[in-house]
Amino acid sequence: MIRVESLTINEFRGIRDLTLDFKGKSFAIYGPNGTGKSGVVDALEFALTGNVSRLSGEGRGDISLKQHGPHVDRRNNPDKARVTVKVAIPSLSKTITIVRSLKNPSVAQVTPSGPAVLDVLRQVEAHPEIVLSRRELIRYVLATPGKRAEEVQALLHLDQVEQVRVGLQKIANACERQLPPLGTAVTQARENLLRALGISELTKEKILGTSNAQRAVLNLPALADLTETTSIKDGMATPVPAQPQRIPKAQALADIRAAREALAEIGGEITKTHITEVTTDLNTLASDPAIAASVKKEAFFTTGMELTEAGMCPFCDTPWNLDRLKKHVQAKIAHLEEISLKRQAAETKMVPLIATLRKVQAAINTVVGYAGLTKPPVVTKAARDYSSHCGTTVEKLTAFMPLSETITVLTNMPTIPPAVLAAIGEIEKAVVVLPEPTKQDAAREWLTVAQERLEVWCDAMRKQKAAKDQAQKARQISDIYTATSDTVLAGIYSTVEKDFSAIYQFINHDDEDEFNAKLIPSMGKLGFDVDFYGRGFFPPGAYHSEGHQDGMGLCLYLALMRYLQGSRFTFAVLDDVLMSVDIGHRREVCALFKTQFPNTQFIMTTHDPIWLRHMRTEGLIGGRSAVQFRNWSIDHGPAQWDDRDVWTEIDDNLKKNDVRAAASLLRHYLEFTSAELCHRLRAPVEFRGDAQYQLGDLLPAAIKRMRELYRRAKEAANSWNQREIVEQLAAREAAFAKLAETSNAEQWQVNVAVHYNSWDNLCKEDFEPVVEAFQNLLGGFTCSDCKEYLRVSPDRETPESLRCECGNTNINLREKRA
Amino acid sequence: MTTSPIVDGTHDVPAQIFEKFLQALESKDVSADLVARLCKTLLEDKTFTERALKKAVLDEETLP
Repeated sequence: MIRVESLTINEFRGIRDLTLDFKGKSFAIYGPNGTGKSGVVDALEFALTGNVSRLSGEGRGDISLKQHGPHVDRRNNPDKARVTVKVAIPSLSKTITIVRSLKNPSVAQVTPSGPAVLDVLRQVEAHPEIVLSRRELIRYVLATPGKRAEEVQALLHLDQVEQVRVGLQKIANACERQLPPLGTAVTQARENLLRALGISELTKEKILGTSNAQRAVLNLPALADLTETTSIKDGMATPVPAQPQRIPKAQALADIRAAREALAEIGGEITKTHITEVTTDLNTLASDPAIAASVKKEAFFTTGMELTEAGMCPFCDTPWNLDRLKKHVQAKIAHLEEISLKRQAAETKMVPLIATLRKVQAAINTVVGYAGLTKPPVVTKAARDYSSHCGTTVEKLTAFMPLSETITVLTNMPTIPPAVLAAIGEIEKAVVVLPEPTKQDAAREWLTVAQERLEVWCDAMRKQKAAKDQAQKARQISDIYTATSDTVLAGIYSTVEKDFSAIYQFINHDDEDEFNAKLIPSMGKLGFDVDFYGRGFFPPGAYHSEGHQDGMGLCLYLALMRYLQGSRFTFAVLDDVLMSVDIGHRREVCALFKTQFPNTQFIMTTHDPIWLRHMRTEGLIGGRSAVQFRNWSIDHGPAQWDDRDVWTEIDDNLKKNDVRAAASLLRHYLEFTSAELCHRLRAPVEFRGDAQYQLGDLLPAAIKRMRELYRRAKEAANSWNQREIVEQLAAREAAFAKLAETSNAEQWQVNVAVHYNSWDNLCKEDFEPVVEAFQNLLGGFTCSDCKEYLRVSPDRETPESLRCECGNTNINLREKRA
Repeated sequence: MTTSPIVDGTHDVPAQIFEKFLQALESKDVSADLVARLCKTLLEDKTFTERALKKAVLDEETLP
């Protein structure tokens, strides 16, 4: 996608003003801990994505990018905190500049802009994983399968896939939850219809037979067929509106019997046994305060998830990242999975009890409907109250929480207030005393009630069918989605697994060239087993060393990135990641980056100078593709080991007559530079096991080596009969010897200053010649054109040349063979 | 080292899964209207809320 050409940071994090010129190449940022390396990483991430993951990750509740992103002295002026990156987009053959300020992190000024450029930047923004820190590395390896799945899913942007899976499942579940009450409604309507028709089986023939018998009483023609539009009272005269409504005596008595049977069922032994069973389960849940609290929490979180759609917390209205909020709550629900299963089991057991309550409620409502037609009207308040009570009980059982209330309503469920039975008895008495209708009136009443109930049943059936179709469709879609995503993900993991193994083998080819790994996806989890020297597959943390485990994290990251971005994986920032790799395999990591990811620009931070050298010697980074931070201060940010800066700073100290500071800085710079010179010139240095080399160990060795190289170069030029070059080299050698001599003559003063703390004995005038001598000496190691330190080439084997990065200095060291 | 078989990268894994899902729906004789609605929601609007999915799956039908 992109390569970063340069980066300018102003007043951002711990950096005041810093420009790094990457030139679109891999680049190393080296410095001891606390010198500002990660600030550069943060700035890159911010410029490219508008975010700094270190300030917005887990456990960063009190820290915000806008408030804590600017330099601490600019915290009230976020506009001053800005990062500018010059970015090359190879696919568009364009170079653009992105400027982003902390005043408005989400808005980037892009020059030149355009739809194609913005599309590329959107892709970059969508992949914050281009920045990987050491602390994030191990999360792919040592995490639990559930957590690892989350991390890998986040990297692959599978959170959206998961969100859709959960959403479709919830829709299917919701559709299926509608079916039981609709089924109950159909059953009740069917029983009411059977009762009205006076038959035991609902077949077309039986309905027509019994209906036509009643129609014959009224001399109505027999119905030949029963369709959705057939009315079994077709042709019957419409009652005169003024005529008071009559109670269909036979039907009313049948309904009263049905109500009594329903009440007998609710108070019967079978229901009581069922209630006892459910109540026992609920009491078990409620008796343990921890479980009871968990049930409450699970219900709370589940409700919260259902309500979480806007970009804020549904409970406290605090603005949240929606995905993060959902993931946060989902993790809590997953933690309560066992409780959730117990809750679901209890809810399933309550389904028939809820159906019984609905049946009783419907039966009582039917009977109460007759009470208003009796003369005088029967008082049915107790029956109506009980009907409402049944409805409330259904609601409470469906709500499930609070548990104590659910247990109470269940316990009271079989108890039927005597006043209910008394009211039904009163209605029955009023119906029984009604005069028997004429045959014609009875037939009219029969046909009217039967038609009403037939319509209710048909309507209930239609609704049930529509709901079933909907549920079936929703379930089918959910199942197809799950199957498809599982298949695609299995393919992804299989590809990543192979690439991961190949990358790991590359790094560890010396002892694990048969290495293999398995990524095992299953139900929202991602198992990860690795081969251990052919002895079997085990979790990475089981037998491999920590260094190897870290290496696995890096390999898995690279495999995932290559899968995700393929040839567009052109840029990655590795913050201290390389330190995780075990020492024995660091060269291989450099070689891996260089040979297997040749089109990827790696920006790497490290506090290990050896690592920096590996990067150089393996050719991962060029001579100028590194910056070395020496210290950091709150007022100035990171200070680089930059030649111009150092001499200016020493000069500034001397102007203030602060010899102590000037000498200390000179000494540290000479130590740093001497090590670099010894490395570049391949100078022999007495080995120290603790790697604590002093200036006296390094600088003389570098000077001696330089003289030796000039001598060797003269011999080589002689062998080729290059007189002119021999003379030039002799002149250079003499000039260098003079510089070395001058510095040696003055060196004791530095040692006095540093070792014996005789600061008071030196003044500005004493120290200025020392500074000048060493500045000149170091100049003797550089190319006169590019001012870079010379180096011996190649890095290993027989030295062939002494050269600089620009190529203008290239001194041959090979003699002509006889 | 075995060369990785990946050349161009998957880049957008969710979109890849959504496209396969829609193809699977078509092959299972799910109505073209429903597939079109899900395509709009998942690939064009890129909205993944339960509400948006319900609108696409049930065509804004309210349950009976």
